[in-house]
Amino acid sequence: MDYIIEVKDLTKEFGGVHALKGISTQVETGEVVVVIGPSGSGKSTFLRCLNYLEVPTTGVIRFQGEPIIPNSNLQRIRSEMGMVFQRFHLFPHMKVMDNVTLGPLRSLGQNKAEASQRALELLAKVGLSDKAQSYPDQLSGGQQQRVAIARALAMRPKVMLFDEPTSALDPEMIGEVLEVMKALAKEGMTMVVVTHEMGFAKEVGDRVLFMDEGLLVEENTPAALFGNPENPRTQSFLSKIL
Amino acid sequence: MDFRWDLVWQSMPLLLEGAWLTIRLTSVSVFFGILIGTAAGMARIAKGPQRYAAAAYIDFMRGTPLLVQIFLIYYGIPPLIDRPIPAYLAALLALSLNSGAYVAEIVRAGIQSIDKGQREAAQSLGLSTWDTMRFVILPQAFRRIVPPLGNEFIALLKDSSLVSVIALEELVRKAQIIIGRTFRPFELWLAVAIVFLIMTISISRLVNAVEKRLKVVE
Ligand SMILES: Nc1ncnc2c1ncn2[C@@H]1O[C@H](COP(=O)(O)OP(=O)(O)O)[C@@H](O)[C@H]1O
Ligand SMILES: [Mg+2]
Repeated sequence: MDYIIEVKDLTKEFGGVHALKGISTQVETGEVVVVIGPSGSGKSTFLRCLNYLEVPTTGVIRFQGEPIIPNSNLQRIRSEMGMVFQRFHLFPHMKVMDNVTLGPLRSLGQNKAEASQRALELLAKVGLSDKAQSYPDQLSGGQQQRVAIARALAMRPKVMLFDEPTSALDPEMIGEVLEVMKALAKEGMTMVVVTHEMGFAKEVGDRVLFMDEGLLVEENTPAALFGNPENPRTQSFLSKIL
Repeated sequence: MDFRWDLVWQSMPLLLEGAWLTIRLTSVSVFFGILIGTAAGMARIAKGPQRYAAAAYIDFMRGTPLLVQIFLIYYGIPPLIDRPIPAYLAALLALSLNSGAYVAEIVRAGIQSIDKGQREAAQSLGLSTWDTMRFVILPQAFRRIVPPLGNEFIALLKDSSLVSVIALEELVRKAQIIIGRTFRPFELWLAVAIVFLIMTISISRLVNAVEKRLKVVE
């Protein structure tokens, strides 16, 4: 099997809090995996362990077959995994253009012309060609999140990680961000998406993981998991949100 | 009681000469203080052993009187290295090292005030720890530390009068010399106070202007 990410027996403890209690799963190349579950169930921690923003307490993360090792291959592997945060985390002191080119310039060693060219293409793709010279605080939340997606894509990542990318947005801006994500999925980008947007999960998800209390309780295709959940905890969660 | 304004005016050229030395000494010291303080502030929150060295330096400089530090350098070190240290150099060393410790705490607080999401976003782009500091954390931290840095500049300007004890003819030392000739302490110390006030108010204004400018850029 061509797995891009393999997670084996992953646990994470925060000073006595067991956020993840042993998770194993894989992500195939080209797959869109959606992670759902109640607040505090460990979804963000799981996603953040994938690129070692949280260092796992135990367990192994493999990226393209290679176990992640800090101070060894971590920096390179991070540059191959794009990450989009709930609260955008754009660099407020830089123009949109500089936000998007920083990674390619510093991590990939691209030259300025090359990086700017690519940034303009990506900004066009997320519908923000006219905002290259703006500062992040001059943009709406939806626009900021689209810039954040362009910033991650500028690294030409092999996989994109999204942590509730629309949860901090006003309702009228959720659609524009989901559209960009759907387009990415259709192009074949490998994606792991933590979200409460069940419509998105059904439309573009290949597989849905349901997490609860630090465990991966159930995983299945969207049709099966939403239509016919097996675990009582999944049933109870879905009955509350659908 | 007669107040001799004429004496104040007559003393001004000498006092301003002293004030010019005060400003030079303070500016150069703050400049080095910022360099030292940035390094020490970053070391203070690093994970390696350098944090202990930084903490020891900061605690020593903040926990001992500047006067003692000046004496230590001007009188204490020369016998060890078997050669005198010029007063200006000794003053510069003492003030820079002292200022560096205060700046270190300002820089540390500035760095720690930046949302940790900024560091995470930079690292998720594959930036090294140093690039993350240089391009993402420090530029934002510097905007926040301009006001406390201005306060540090003003504090050091006032404290720099202590180097008069090693016969460096800055503002206070000049006044002492003039008083030795004229026996008019009230006029002279008042004049010194006014010159200090003009300097500190100007610095405050300057810092405010810089701050405004940075806000616009942000
Ligand atoms: N940095 C942290 N320090 C301490 N506890 C944390 C930290 N991050 C997450 N947790 C805890 O881990 C659990 C899982 O959190 P999280 O992964 O954020 O859940 P979710 O994203 O599903 O809402 C929660 O109990 C949370 O309080
Ligand atoms: Mg979360």
